[in-house]
Amino acid sequence: MDKAKVLVVDDERDLNETLVKRLKRRGYETQSAFDGLEALAVLAGEPFDVIVLDVKMPGMDGIETLREIKKRHPRIEVLLLTGHASVESGVQGMSMGANDYLIKPVEIEDLLKAINQAYERKRLATENA
Amino acid sequence: MPQKTPESASPSRALALAACALALGAPLLSGWAGMAAGAGAAGCVLYGRWKWAKLVRQGKAQRDALRDRLLQSQKLAAIGEVAAGIAHEINNPLAVITQETEWMEHLLAPPLPMSEQTYSAVRQGLKDVQAQVNRCADITHSLLSLARNWTPILQPVDLNTLAEDMAKLVELEARQRNVTLDRRYAPDLPEALLDPPLMRQAILNLLVNALHAVEGGGVISMATAPGPEGGCILRVADTGPGIPEQNISRIFDPFFTTKAPGKGTGLGLAITHRIIDRLGGTITAESPPGKGAVFTISLPPTPAKEPQP
Repeated sequence: MDKAKVLVVDDERDLNETLVKRLKRRGYETQSAFDGLEALAVLAGEPFDVIVLDVKMPGMDGIETLREIKKRHPRIEVLLLTGHASVESGVQGMSMGANDYLIKPVEIEDLLKAINQAYERKRLATENA
Repeated sequence: MPQKTPESASPSRALALAACALALGAPLLSGWAGMAAGAGAAGCVLYGRWKWAKLVRQGKAQRDALRDRLLQSQKLAAIGEVAAGIAHEINNPLAVITQETEWMEHLLAPPLPMSEQTYSAVRQGLKDVQAQVNRCADITHSLLSLARNWTPILQPVDLNTLAEDMAKLVELEARQRNVTLDRRYAPDLPEALLDPPLMRQAILNLLVNALHAVEGGGVISMATAPGPEGGCILRVADTGPGIPEQNISRIFDPFFTTKAPGKGTGLGLAITHRIIDRLGGTITAESPPGKGAVFTISLPPTPAKEPQP
């Protein structure tokens, strides 16, 4: 099975870059964006399958970014990732069409499972369309 | 009707009785009456039958009309409630937007150029307007997801993991509010075929609903169990005040809410109901007296590919 193309959106540079490195090592084509606006700019230029999106970011936060992503690219699957779970953002995010809401720290195996499941869903949705 | 059976009837009496009895729908009598009354009576018998059939037809038509009218008025009442809900939810943001735009108009009145202070106040105003517009967009988005006949995308998943993801999300806030989130996951749960993000949303809505119910402390218990014929069951119970009997049939209606204004749109349970329905499952609400509320989701072993709308 081929692998998802992943965009990691997180303002914490170290976390972001480490995650991208780990995903690349496992054979996922992966790229970083360090805020919401950058993520939207990257997505405007090339397609991605799955986005790992931090909820708490300065400026445009994860929920706002999710809203914009879903407006412009409804088929992209978004996994919300957060260090501080908030029920309100969870409800908002899930009702806006996020695929999952994961709490940091997340085991890489669990994250990979979530990415693969989200990617599979995107492929099924495209097939059904 | 049998009490009208005569012991020894004169033809005329029999005739009258026969007509009467037939009109009242006693078919047993018709043979006897026909014989006793002779040919003259037969016409009357036929007339009686015709008359009876006509009455039945009229009765049925009347009943149907009444039923239609009742359905129509129930439908109108339901639409009215939904409309009131939408109006209420949209009116608040509209009021804020009106205020903000008036304020910005005031700020932007000459003379120009504006001060830096005014500039940042206007920017803040625009941001506030945007937030209110988003709030409205979220409501219409939720309404559309209720109205649309979307097809779920089914994937094999472990319901326990899925439920635990949402439990983790709610856990911290539950603890802060002195609420225990008790989980009992059946180890022998069969794999479920469902739409993972939608199911997560459904579970999260139930947990949030329970969290609001046990305000001030209590216990929320979430449990999974194998269902009949290879299906799965997920149950969320709370130790809150429960649901009053008169509300239990309306608990899944859109915009039906007992929460204070601004606390939840009253769409959460309606959306949950819709999701479970689209997944081919069922959801029920119970409230045993003095024991809080219990929501039970029952998922079929292999959800129908195209559940009926």
